[in-house]
Amino acid sequence: MAAALAVGLGACSLPWARRSRPAPSAGWEANLSRQDPALSGDGRLLASVIERQGRSTVLLQERSSGRVLPLRHLSRWQPHSSPSLSWRGRYLAVIVQRGDRRLAVIEDRLTNRLLPLPLPGGREPVRLSLAPDGQRLALQLVASGRWRVEVFDLAGALELDPPAGELLRTPAAATP
Amino acid sequence: MTLQGSQHPGAARLGVALLATGLLSACVATPLRPLPTINQRLEQNGSNRDPSLSGRWLALISGRDGRERVELIDLELNRPVPLPGLNRPDAQPLNVSVDAAGERMALIRQRDGRTELALYSRSRQSLQPLPLDPPGVPRQLQLDANGRVLAVQVSRGGLWQVDLIELP
Repeated sequence: MAAALAVGLGACSLPWARRSRPAPSAGWEANLSRQDPALSGDGRLLASVIERQGRSTVLLQERSSGRVLPLRHLSRWQPHSSPSLSWRGRYLAVIVQRGDRRLAVIEDRLTNRLLPLPLPGGREPVRLSLAPDGQRLALQLVASGRWRVEVFDLAGALELDPPAGELLRTPAAATP
Repeated sequence: MTLQGSQHPGAARLGVALLATGLLSACVATPLRPLPTINQRLEQNGSNRDPSLSGRWLALISGRDGRERVELIDLELNRPVPLPGLNRPDAQPLNVSVDAAGERMALIRQRDGRTELALYSRSRQSLQPLPLDPPGVPRQLQLDANGRVLAVQVSRGGLWQVDLIELP
């Protein structure tokens, strides 16, 4: 009975295990400590936080090839934590350190803009999650000694980053 | 700062102004606009942590009276949806992630002194274990929005690594 159950469970889980593999190498260090993985909505890009010269730094790569993609604004303000990517990876949201404060920022990889997102009331983020379309941001904070999550609207600040193949439904696009 | 070779001081001033404008536009703070209806709903939960936004869904770990559970909130309707078979009284959720369809949720939880990685299907109301090969202790994860690839932070031999799991 127990053997049959074990076989059943094994059969259930084995196909998943076969598809597991390590994240692609960044090319410069074999035993790289890597944390906080985040995938673009389409799964094409992988962001993670690595220790580089003793500083926690966000690394952006193509998932299939391992090719490292440049981040224009994020070579400083370490430590970085909690990266999050939009559908096609146009936006990378991450928590950085500026002076003695933690701050959420978004790098727009299309326009090379950096958007600092200071929290009302001078509060500081602990973790974040960017919606794949770039229109909402959820932040985990500490308030009155407990964890708290708040959701913010980015619709006026960021353009949509839709999935590949999905057309933007604008009035102009709707005109035949 | 001057513009080399410029015959017109006005042009130099204009250049400085344009450069300053360019630098500022590259890094202008954007005030965050809270979504009050959703945030009031979250406030009722007690404590909340580890948010995962995707599509119309917000997955998180909420806690009250020392007990934590996974919650999935439909942001369009501003209410949680039932997750039968996902939360159990003897398990402590550590991290959660949801896909854009709100169909798949990946979960790390502690139960009987072990840390487990699992995938929940909302339509089938089933939780399937995902073994790590080679074995390790999962800590953080994220599903892509299509629910097809899972990235997991795993501790192996004192080193943090990231595994990628392709899901059928």
